[in-house]
Amino acid sequence: MKLVTAIVKPFKLDEVKEALRSIGVNGLTVTEVQGFGRQRGHTEVYRGAEYQVDFVPKVKVEVLAEEDQVQPVVDAILKTARTGKIGDGKVFVTPVDQVWRIRTGEMGPDAI
Amino acid sequence: MDDAVRALAEGLGPGGAVVAVGGYGRRLLLPRSDVDLLVLHGDRRSSREVGAAEQLFYPFWDAGLDLGHAIRTVDECVSLAAERVDVACSLLEARLLWGEVALVQRLQDRLRPRLAGGPFLDRLREDVEARAARFPACSTDLEPDLKEGSGGLRDLHAIGWAGRVSEEAAVRPTEAGALDAAEEFLVRVRSALHLETGRRTDRLFLEHQPALASAFGFEATEGLAAPDALMRALFGHARLVEHVRDRVLASRDRMVEVGEVATSEDVMEAFAASATAGAPLGPAALDAIEAAELGDGPFPWAERTRRAFLEILAAGPAGRRALEAMDRADLLGRFLPEWEAVRCRPQRDPYHRFTVDVHLLEATAVAADLLAGRRAEVPAAAGEIEEPDPVLLGAFLHDIGKIGRGRHVEVGADVAARALERIGVEPATRHDVLFLVRHHLLLSDTAVRRDLSDENLVLDVAARIEEPRRLAMLEVLTLADAEATGPHAASPWRLALVRELGAKVRHVLEAGDMGPDRAALLEGRRAEVRDLLAGEPAEAVERYLARLPRAYLTSVAPGTAAAHFRLVAPSLGAAEVRSIAIPGDRPGTHQVTVVAADRPGLLARIAGSLSLEGLAIISARAFTTEDGTAIDLFDVTPAFHGDVEEERWRRFRRTLRRSLEGRVTLEHRVAEKRRHYPPPSSEVPNHVRVLNDASAFATVIEVETVDRIGLLFDLARAMERLGLDVRLATVATYGERVVDVFYVRDALGGKVEDGRAGEIERRILAGLEDPR
Repeated sequence: MKLVTAIVKPFKLDEVKEALRSIGVNGLTVTEVQGFGRQRGHTEVYRGAEYQVDFVPKVKVEVLAEEDQVQPVVDAILKTARTGKIGDGKVFVTPVDQVWRIRTGEMGPDAI
Repeated sequence: MDDAVRALAEGLGPGGAVVAVGGYGRRLLLPRSDVDLLVLHGDRRSSREVGAAEQLFYPFWDAGLDLGHAIRTVDECVSLAAERVDVACSLLEARLLWGEVALVQRLQDRLRPRLAGGPFLDRLREDVEARAARFPACSTDLEPDLKEGSGGLRDLHAIGWAGRVSEEAAVRPTEAGALDAAEEFLVRVRSALHLETGRRTDRLFLEHQPALASAFGFEATEGLAAPDALMRALFGHARLVEHVRDRVLASRDRMVEVGEVATSEDVMEAFAASATAGAPLGPAALDAIEAAELGDGPFPWAERTRRAFLEILAAGPAGRRALEAMDRADLLGRFLPEWEAVRCRPQRDPYHRFTVDVHLLEATAVAADLLAGRRAEVPAAAGEIEEPDPVLLGAFLHDIGKIGRGRHVEVGADVAARALERIGVEPATRHDVLFLVRHHLLLSDTAVRRDLSDENLVLDVAARIEEPRRLAMLEVLTLADAEATGPHAASPWRLALVRELGAKVRHVLEAGDMGPDRAALLEGRRAEVRDLLAGEPAEAVERYLARLPRAYLTSVAPGTAAAHFRLVAPSLGAAEVRSIAIPGDRPGTHQVTVVAADRPGLLARIAGSLSLEGLAIISARAFTTEDGTAIDLFDVTPAFHGDVEEERWRRFRRTLRRSLEGRVTLEHRVAEKRRHYPPPSSEVPNHVRVLNDASAFATVIEVETVDRIGLLFDLARAMERLGLDVRLATVATYGERVVDVFYVRDALGGKVEDGRAGEIERRILAGLEDPR
């Protein structure tokens, strides 16, 4: 099992969600996050005065996937979240040791 | 229960008493209430007596009942009552179950003088305020605490206790019936909640509301679901409790009294006085208002009423309290019948914490504070607003359309128009308020859901807002709305996005890239193109119009834009180049349009290919859509007079294609060509300016120089070498003088860094002076 974590632009969330649903992903977690990558923050000129935007708002999407689903999930995110411009975000894949469904106590793939 | 306690109490020694306190003392045991028992002793007690008392408690625990228990002497009770008002109150209601009557009598005799009058009322008031701050209110919160929340059961008890110690604090006969009904309702809902959950819980969460609504027989009506009807009834009762509580517990020394109250104008002014003083109306004023013969309403709005109302809106949180007092006294709806439909109306979504009416009052209070600079952080937009009334009225009415019928924004504009008409707001203000009601979600929705780096998007938002003044009003309303909604809506995450959009729209409006005139022109142009393309599929036409850069729509004639539909609309292969050449506006000129996937050096290669065919560029306009399609228009004329035969266009296309495929390089050939042309005859000094503030999306480079064959090719090549992507270019020729403007982005799709401006200027100038 793997945890696929994607940091994407906020307005891409709906597209990513739809794409994941269409390949059979039936659960994901979404968090509103702020941060910066290579893009850093940027400077906005506001009423003549500059102010520094240190952290850029993004959306974090987390999906648990079985091994054979990892690549389709990653591909779906890469395809839909891309605008080709700076700040499109990142996708990470991390191993997951175990997962439980709290209500039933099911474990492993059954709990995804 | 009483009998069971008495039977168990037989085991206690003589000289003590067992009394029921709290809800048990009041004979009000709910299904899961705890049973509060106090074992009372005289002056001292032995460990044997304590042990015996504990024996009394075990059977309760064994039976699974929640037991509130205490073993105290009279002295201990008195000193504890001095510390805690709730203990004092509960002892006032102590009810003897078993043992010495005299003991209870002695306790109450000692308590009574300590619990008299003003100081006790002060303590009750502090307790009420502390609870209101800690627990979700029964009068406004969508998940209220029925016991501790404001307007809940504890407040009812407080009213009762206050009445026992002070005649002034007695409940009026006119209120007694309604108060009883409120108590019955609250108790029944709480009992049902205990039964429903099987636990002693007082928080009425959303998930429990449907079951309770059906248990109580609430039914859905048009625009109001059954659980909402339950909550609305609860809010109504709780608000009455609050109203009576505030009068009963009011501190007499900080209240506002007013003179005669005879008319509805007087009423509004009385509340305005209360709002500006930041203190509630005193009992005499409230009595006078109640006694005034005002009729059922709707009351007429005189100039005095209007002015007083706007004072209330501007007063911030104190204004909110004044409006709530009007609401509790059933006055607000008589001034403004439009208010009734949102009064006590729950809203069920993950963001809202409060009913619609409370949300509106809260948003108004926040907006008033922002405008008056009463906040630690005041957004720049608030400082720009000279006339606060439209924003205050906009905040007060923005969700007035949430009445369960249709989309609330559209409905809201209609309802707000009626309300403003009634209030008698003058037309200019009314216009602004309706704009705010119609667009109150524009910034927040767009900021979160759309791509803010899309120039078209920002221009379209600007076209709807039209002026910086209205943008400032909308920004303040958006902020106030978010804050009044709840912590999720006002998160730094959301506000950062809203601020970014606001800054970009402001930039566009202040640079004159969009405004009322341009917005109208844009809309007119769209309509003309639509008409001209009436024969094409409407959906494809709309997609085409949405893709076109707004600068294209405003600068290219509708006929030309319609003619470009066939060129631009069908999807374009990566290597595909489409072009047409038609006769130009003036004799001897031709208009050439090239459409291709944008790539570095495209503009240079087109310009170079034109130059190689001996075509002088009189003007050029280069556009790029957000999805990367370049649409470049050139007005050209043969450098030496003569017709441009088809063969020449064919050669142009071939050269362009071959250069794009990388099979020929143009630089050498353009330099060669230039030698066949006479050098410029006049002197025009070269100027290059790099402007980073002129556009929110691109760096603007202005070049002024003398015209010559291949000039655009040279400039475009220079941009390409600097790694700049030309998004928009205009070339204008004035005799021998040429002014070229390029809107460029760097390789990362943003404006160039300020530090590069000098280098860019130098390199372009160098290229002008020494064309290779």
